Amino acid sequence: MKRKSQDCKSRLPDNSAMKQQQLPAFRLQLSANEILSGFFATGVFCLGMGVILLLSAKSIREIEINYTEKCASCAKLREDATNFDKECNCSVSFYLPQKMEGNVYLYYKLYGFYQNLYRYILSRSNIQLVGTDVKDVRNCAPFKTSDEGLPIAPCGAIANSLFNDTFVLLYNFNSSTQIKVPMVRTATAWWTDKYVKFQNPTYQNLSHAFEGTAKPPNWPKPVYELDEEDPRNNGFINDDFIVWMRTAAFPTFKKLHRRLHRIDSFTEGLPAGSYSFIINYNFPVSKFQGQKALVLSTLTWSGGSSLFLGLAYLVTGAVTLLAFFSMMAVHLKLKERKTFFLQ
Amino acid sequence: MNLFEQFQRLANAYFLFLLLLQVLPFRAFSTEYFISFSGEPLGLASTMTQQRLAPSPASAGEAGSQDLLYFLNIFLYDFRKGTKMIIKSTIVLFCFSHRILLWEVLGYLILLLTVFADSYSVLSDLLLNEKLKAQKIMIVTDKWMNVQVGDIIKLENNQIVTADILLLSSSEPYSLTYIETAELDGETNLKVKQAISVTSEMEDNLKLLSAFDGEVRCESPNNKLDRFTGILMYKGKNYILNHDRLILRGCVIRNTDWCYGLVIFTGPDTKVMQNSGKSTFKRTHIDHLMNVLVLWIFLFLGSMCFLLAVGHYIWENNQGYYFQDYLPWKDYVSSSAFSAALIFWSYFIILNTMVPISLYVSVEIIRLGNSFYINWDQKMFYEPKNTPAQARTTTLNEELGQVKYVFSDKTGTLTQNIMIFNKCSINGTFYELYYEIVNSLVMISGHKAHSSKKVDFSYNNLADPKFSFYDKTLVEAVKKGDHWVHLFFLSLSLCHTVISEEKVEGELVYQAQSPDEGALVTAARNFGFVFRSRTSETIMVVEMGKTRVYQLLAILDFSNVRKRMSVVVRTPENRILLFCKGADTILCQLLHPSCRSLQDITMDHLDDFASDGLRTLMVAYRELDSAFFQDWSKKHSEACLSLENRENEISTVCEEIERDLMLLGATAIEDKLQDGVPETILTLNKAKIKIWVLTGDKQETAVNIAYACNIFEDEMDEIFIVEGNNDETVGRELRSAREKMKPDSLLESDPVNSYLATKPQPPFKIPEEVPSGSYGLIITGYSLAHALEGNLELELLRTACMCKGVICCRMTPLQKAQVVELVKKYKRAVTLAIGDGANDVSMIKVAHIGVGISGQEGMQAMLSSDYALSQFRYLQRLLLVHGRWSYNRMCKFLSYFFYKNFAFTLVHVWYAFYSGFSAQTVYDTWFITFYNLVYTSLPVLGLSLFDQDVNETWSLRFPELYEPGQHNLYFNKKEFVKCLLHGIYSSFVLYFIPMGTVFNSECKDGKEISDYQSFSLIVQTSLLCVVTMQITLETTYWTMISHVFTWGSLGFYFCILFFLYSDGLCLLFPDVFQFLGVARNTLNLPQMWLCVVLSIILCMLPVVGYQFLKPLFWPVSVDQIIDRIHHCMRHPLPYPVRTKLKHTASRRSAYAFSHKQGFGALITSGKTMKVRFPKRNSFPHKR
Repeated sequence: MKRKSQDCKSRLPDNSAMKQQQLPAFRLQLSANEILSGFFATGVFCLGMGVILLLSAKSIREIEINYTEKCASCAKLREDATNFDKECNCSVSFYLPQKMEGNVYLYYKLYGFYQNLYRYILSRSNIQLVGTDVKDVRNCAPFKTSDEGLPIAPCGAIANSLFNDTFVLLYNFNSSTQIKVPMVRTATAWWTDKYVKFQNPTYQNLSHAFEGTAKPPNWPKPVYELDEEDPRNNGFINDDFIVWMRTAAFPTFKKLHRRLHRIDSFTEGLPAGSYSFIINYNFPVSKFQGQKALVLSTLTWSGGSSLFLGLAYLVTGAVTLLAFFSMMAVHLKLKERKTFFLQ
Repeated sequence: MNLFEQFQRLANAYFLFLLLLQVLPFRAFSTEYFISFSGEPLGLASTMTQQRLAPSPASAGEAGSQDLLYFLNIFLYDFRKGTKMIIKSTIVLFCFSHRILLWEVLGYLILLLTVFADSYSVLSDLLLNEKLKAQKIMIVTDKWMNVQVGDIIKLENNQIVTADILLLSSSEPYSLTYIETAELDGETNLKVKQAISVTSEMEDNLKLLSAFDGEVRCESPNNKLDRFTGILMYKGKNYILNHDRLILRGCVIRNTDWCYGLVIFTGPDTKVMQNSGKSTFKRTHIDHLMNVLVLWIFLFLGSMCFLLAVGHYIWENNQGYYFQDYLPWKDYVSSSAFSAALIFWSYFIILNTMVPISLYVSVEIIRLGNSFYINWDQKMFYEPKNTPAQARTTTLNEELGQVKYVFSDKTGTLTQNIMIFNKCSINGTFYELYYEIVNSLVMISGHKAHSSKKVDFSYNNLADPKFSFYDKTLVEAVKKGDHWVHLFFLSLSLCHTVISEEKVEGELVYQAQSPDEGALVTAARNFGFVFRSRTSETIMVVEMGKTRVYQLLAILDFSNVRKRMSVVVRTPENRILLFCKGADTILCQLLHPSCRSLQDITMDHLDDFASDGLRTLMVAYRELDSAFFQDWSKKHSEACLSLENRENEISTVCEEIERDLMLLGATAIEDKLQDGVPETILTLNKAKIKIWVLTGDKQETAVNIAYACNIFEDEMDEIFIVEGNNDETVGRELRSAREKMKPDSLLESDPVNSYLATKPQPPFKIPEEVPSGSYGLIITGYSLAHALEGNLELELLRTACMCKGVICCRMTPLQKAQVVELVKKYKRAVTLAIGDGANDVSMIKVAHIGVGISGQEGMQAMLSSDYALSQFRYLQRLLLVHGRWSYNRMCKFLSYFFYKNFAFTLVHVWYAFYSGFSAQTVYDTWFITFYNLVYTSLPVLGLSLFDQDVNETWSLRFPELYEPGQHNLYFNKKEFVKCLLHGIYSSFVLYFIPMGTVFNSECKDGKEISDYQSFSLIVQTSLLCVVTMQITLETTYWTMISHVFTWGSLGFYFCILFFLYSDGLCLLFPDVFQFLGVARNTLNLPQMWLCVVLSIILCMLPVVGYQFLKPLFWPVSVDQIIDRIHHCMRHPLPYPVRTKLKHTASRRSAYAFSHKQGFGALITSGKTMKVRFPKRNSFPHKR
């Protein structure tokens, strides 16, 4: 060897673990017992998880009031766009058999409204919404500019279709007196949306900031008049607006609208009894066979009343255990054959 | 590689099409998405596969200007592509490919420089030539590539002939020229060519030569090595030319100082190049399969898009039309049908990630990595020649794991082409060499480490220093002056046709016509009987230091019928002696009755020799009285002059004198096999790889080697010989062989026959047929020529494929290629050709995989090969270890890769039903971009570079593990469909579980979580967790790197997630990074993690269950072996298998080389003997 290296350089490849494919390694081989016990453990886990989830979902009180049918006349009115300036109110009453304890949330729910269409989702200007340039309407087709050629603020299809029904919830304290249920309209949006993603342009007066822009065609009033009482909830940082701008993934969705303000007789939550909603009906849905509903709900650690996860875990657990038993049977039955091979 | 070849890979066409789609504004993707496709320009994958390193013009003599132009073209083409690449792509992963590309570009730059330098030197040479021609006649040294038809060239001893040349004159008497044709036909003996007398007169007179103005008319270039017809017209006369006048390219001039020749054919017209076949772009079965699969996917994609477009049409009609208050149609969209047409193409773009370009990039990287493993393997490094194994192509690795047929050359591949004088029996005494394997190393490297054991030849200063012999008793006998021993060696030093050369005093070089003879004469020389020189009438021998001159009275030369040769010499003492050596079968009938007892003893010894697989010869002598010889001599010269029946008469005359011989002894010569050849062949046989020996050498030697290296075994039921000379006999022989192996295969009811009767279209496959026992087949080149024609080729194939071993001898290079082609065509099996000489180039090029033996003299085979090994025995490692791993890894890779992309892509299809078929993607565009490039690329690369299902010891110990590759069980269309179904199932789970989770659900502070961006995040996180879990299931060999790659990629995903969704980045580019805050808000939801866990469980459990149940319900033989291995790993067994592999040549016997009577019971018991060759000789002389 020594002599060789003097003659000419040896071309012997390096003796490294990597090059000789001898890297130290753990060999993963699942034995039958490991697989079977894995199945068993998974099954038990899923069953347990399913039961827990179902129990917690059951503890939730929730009521949904679909007012599409009940406000048919208003819907009819809204089908004709020329009636946009006519007000239309309708009242829907319902009965709460059990009281709703704790925090109560009011959602509006839309059926058949496709907020996830490709072109719809793209039709917004984040640059505008973050307040850097109110006149940036690049991606907002088909709602970029008004007929006069002014850039729309906020532009785009999403903003234009802002859900603008308003509700008043009345509690029939007794047969004669109705109390307006106090609601909080803020803190319904994500913190990051409210304080980072949506910013008003920096001007002393909000209406000045939006000078040279037009309001979206469907809107009755410009963006800086969304909530004139509270400057921290006006313009782009209006909670209702932000919530709407976070587009839903599916055509049926609900969005957080108000939270119960727990004061006076509502400290415990919503007491049982009869209630009625006074709805200011503005948002047309009947044209595309959409439906609108209001949802009142309480919550637990696992969220809302959706049973899906609980059921899914339960079914998975049951199926896994079933698979475990049948595999066990097959394994025991064919074990003899297998040991025969080994000889 | 030209454009056409680029598009042969269907995927390249597909990617080009997609690129165009992207450019057209069907779906305005944001810029980064665009990059993900177009950043990888077309053909990137193929630039990396740049097949072979361009052989430098000097080393590959034939790389003439044409080839260089070709390389230049490639260079320009690739360079353009390369720069485009560099400018365009910006993505991290491509740094890697860039480096490769840069190397390539650099390589080409260097090549370009050499081209310029070369052309400059050629130009200056040309100018110089012109000048010189004007001045005076002289010889100019030039390059091979400049040799042209009509040139007269001078060749010197040991030079390789550059072109097919007509011999004009040479330094030897009668213008004889000796050449060695090992490169052409594998024969190692010298051949003689002679110039015609007119031209030979010119000798080396340059004036005459340059004035030579003959005109040659000859046949057009063809591939027949043993035929040439032409006419030389010179000075008004016509001379007939035949192939004895022609020296072919690839030969080596031996024993001739110089010769002049007229160039007849050059370059591609030469016979050897005509024989070498076209070199084609080799692509693996997996490549072809992938082409088909890409087409399938394309169709699947098309139909999917069509369905979705129809869905969109219906949706637009029913709902979209009425939704226009909120989202009006675009101006140019007039109807929902038009909108659907646009959606079709949009979905085409979205769903194209089913076949991402990164598939091809990864495939190339894997192949590259696995090629490097071959280059790096220490166990395939051959120290004596300092050569490691070399993967010369990086595109064929996985096919190494699928080889079904190995076609091997004999000389230089199975054998070392070294003859060793191994044993002898002198006057009834048995002498043996203590001869070991190390010996061969000693001989090659000239190492003298074993001098302690070595016999001291110091008494003989003419001994060959390389010779080693360890039996002292023989030397003692020589030194003592034993009469018989002396006579024995004297006969060896006299009775031969070797020519000696003594350039430096005392340094003898023998030019033997056959290596056997060389070995014998060398042995005699070392024992003190040095053949020093010869003239036509005398032989000078140095006997124990004393120079004696023998008068050579007659040589009765060897012929195939006689199987012996004799010389008659007159000793200095005026005795007339006849020395004869030849096949024992013949010689023992010519012996004098008085040496009966000696004959019996010698026969016993010969049995021993033969059973060791040695080539045996008997040596005898006879003392003649002067009168008898005079008499005979007269008869002999008369016979030589007779016109009719000369051959017969000569042989009758010879028989008269070759009678009553006195037996001297016997010799045994070993045609040395390369180390480990029998073991390798045994192992390969166990792996169900069939080995065919294709050689240009004689039948006898080929069969001897076949026995020696286990291709034929004594236990075989029968060995068929096909040596018919016309179609009919060949066909008959083939059919009768087949009838014996499988009687009903001739009946019409046989499934193969009935299949063939349906006359299927040419590219059909002949199914496997199982014979009733183990058989061997020998077929000669002449018969093969008939068998390869027309309808007989199927007969040949069916018969040959049923045999366990097939030997084809006396083949031309082209026939070798034809045989390989035949198997390739009808068996659809992967073929591998291994060889070392120029005659193997054609089959190396034709076979799916060509392996060249490197480190030999000729480089031709190595240069056209795909893999270069230095020893035949490394083949088992190349196939069983590297090939198997490469194949398994590639299959695992493909299955997993297709799976992960189906699971990834098809989620969009499910989402389409909930998003109005509006071509909405489920994921963030960044995720789509990074999924294949960053998040999942490293784990799968780690899997396919480091995974080992069983380690190398097991795969060599259980060669049966190789079988699944041959039947392509691990990745085929069925497996692909499984991947597809698995992908569809996973995508179903991955869509509906997150959907169910977020639908109508809210987080605990009341905010809803069913927004699009949260949903995206949940789906993509679940997806990534699921595919990561899937790869942990697939990985059986967890190295540190696998851990880092797998878990690192998952961790990296979360890091990137927080980065991409961070405030700063989103505020800088609000329109590019829209997912601000999603990670922060969604990743802390309990629902999300419950959803991820549930998705993993639902995706993994069926797979685990399937893998658990599959071997129970559908057991494959490999499963059992793997079970056994696992069992052995847990309870280590003693190592019994080794001894089994240690089977050497000693067990089998080359009975064929012995006579009939000698073996007694052993032979009569073996039925095999009946068919064996009654006449056998190991004496490859010139005829």
